Amino acid sequence: MSDLVSETSLDAAAEASLTIGRPAEELRALWLRPDTQSRIWADFADVTVSADGSADWTARGPAGGEYRWRTSVQDIDQGLIRWSSGKGADIANTGTLAFQTAPGDRGTELHLGVRFDPPGGIVGEAIGKLFHIVPREIVSKALYRFRALAMTGEIPTTDPQPAARKGGTDR
Amino acid sequence: MRALCWNGVNDLRVETVDDPEILNPNDVILKVRLSTTCGSDLHLIDGLIPTMKAGDVLGHEFMGEIVDVGRAVTKVKRGDRVVVPSFISCGQCWYCQHDLYSLCDTTHPKPELQEPLLGYPTAGIYAYSHAFGGYAGAHAEYVRVPFANTDCFVVPDGVSDEAALFISDAAPTGFMGADFCNIQRGDVVAIWGCGGVGLMAQQGAMILGAERVIAIDRYPERLAQAQAFGAITLDYTQVDVVEALKELTGGRGPDACIDAVGMEAGGTGLQNAYDRVKQALYLETDRGTALRQAILAVRKGGTLSILGVYGVMDKFPLGVLMNKGVTVRTAQQHGQAYVPRLLEHAQRGELTPAALATHHFSLEESPTGYHMFKHKEDGCLRAVFSPSTA
Repeated sequence: MSDLVSETSLDAAAEASLTIGRPAEELRALWLRPDTQSRIWADFADVTVSADGSADWTARGPAGGEYRWRTSVQDIDQGLIRWSSGKGADIANTGTLAFQTAPGDRGTELHLGVRFDPPGGIVGEAIGKLFHIVPREIVSKALYRFRALAMTGEIPTTDPQPAARKGGTDR
Repeated sequence: MRALCWNGVNDLRVETVDDPEILNPNDVILKVRLSTTCGSDLHLIDGLIPTMKAGDVLGHEFMGEIVDVGRAVTKVKRGDRVVVPSFISCGQCWYCQHDLYSLCDTTHPKPELQEPLLGYPTAGIYAYSHAFGGYAGAHAEYVRVPFANTDCFVVPDGVSDEAALFISDAAPTGFMGADFCNIQRGDVVAIWGCGGVGLMAQQGAMILGAERVIAIDRYPERLAQAQAFGAITLDYTQVDVVEALKELTGGRGPDACIDAVGMEAGGTGLQNAYDRVKQALYLETDRGTALRQAILAVRKGGTLSILGVYGVMDKFPLGVLMNKGVTVRTAQQHGQAYVPRLLEHAQRGELTPAALATHHFSLEESPTGYHMFKHKEDGCLRAVFSPSTA
């Protein structure tokens, strides 16, 4: 049993780090802008942020399933933002974003962590199978997109004009 | 619009696809005046690089006219005749700020595909598989170009479309390879491969002050072009290259060696047969004959500059590099760092990239162009397409 629990919790948590050449204060303000959240998590979930800072999330499953939850920010201080889902979440979760000054002229190191707590009915199921992307990709892609937004004001995309035709398959 | 699409291994077709549109504020849309084949396209066409998808529009070396601009674009305008490097670079991130443009931190729409392969994602590139971004290519009437303020360079008067075309990729790649060699007075530079990149590396080495440039290939018409550029030439099927290079350098060996060949290097003898069998069985993608020769030939303490595109290679002679104290420099092209000076060299006639344009085709004939380029028929050095003229 203990093996199962540790495996599940490992699978349900993910962290990623990267460095952005901007001061922490500027990045924190950008992170907290409502439209930023909807843009950086777009591959994983639709996020709508309300005026009070709470956010409604709809994440997509691999077979068209949807999971919903609402998060609110629990803590904001100079070095950390922490949020967590409230009652009634389809998949309870918490997240943290920590800011550290990077050495030299490199800006700010960001450490993003997300932990999912699968509900009773699916305890033991790998969280990666619930969503269409695994937790590690969820966090690393959100950070990548956030960096692009912070540095350039836009997020790289080919949608809806990928090189391949729609429905093109790997060969 | 019409575009050249990849549909599977060795299956190229010109098809009607949707016109590109502005998606981000820094985008422009280019009407493609000229585009060209690159040796690295052959890796995609031959299926040596995964994550291609049916319908992918090919072409990463191109120039054209701006016909639409995004609202954040300030440095170029509608009607400008521009050349665009193959890698998409934002100009803002740490890598761009350090002139390492092909390593840009912000332009890859699918970093999760590439990070497991390389550890960190690179810049996105036009038409170079989905692991490299999945951007549509330029063998098409129109192409979307992101980050136009950084990636579009206005072609000055006196530089023809044909010359500007190769300042998109072959010229900056070759010139960067020569720049890696930190060329000093009296230096001899040996360059494997007299394709577009190799020839541009030769002119680059001359511009940067090499005493002598030695060009190595097997195709007479390519060796003739190298000779026309002022290089001493070696046909590797006729001579022992390493011995010949010693002879030409008074036994010192070249101060720098540039590999402008890559994973599909031809060769002779047992090592070549071994490499070909392993490649055919997908045990490795790379033959690497040129690279092995260059490692052996370079003088002690010299520089090895690798421009050829590689995947994985076993039996790599790392110990030779170590014991000889060789400096290795390599990269995909940091084109944006070189294009301005290359346009000036072309304007002054010191760089003559238009010489690479040996064969011309309409877009509709582009599959034939790739066939001729791949098989080097009729001395085809580069096939050039004119997508916006019927």
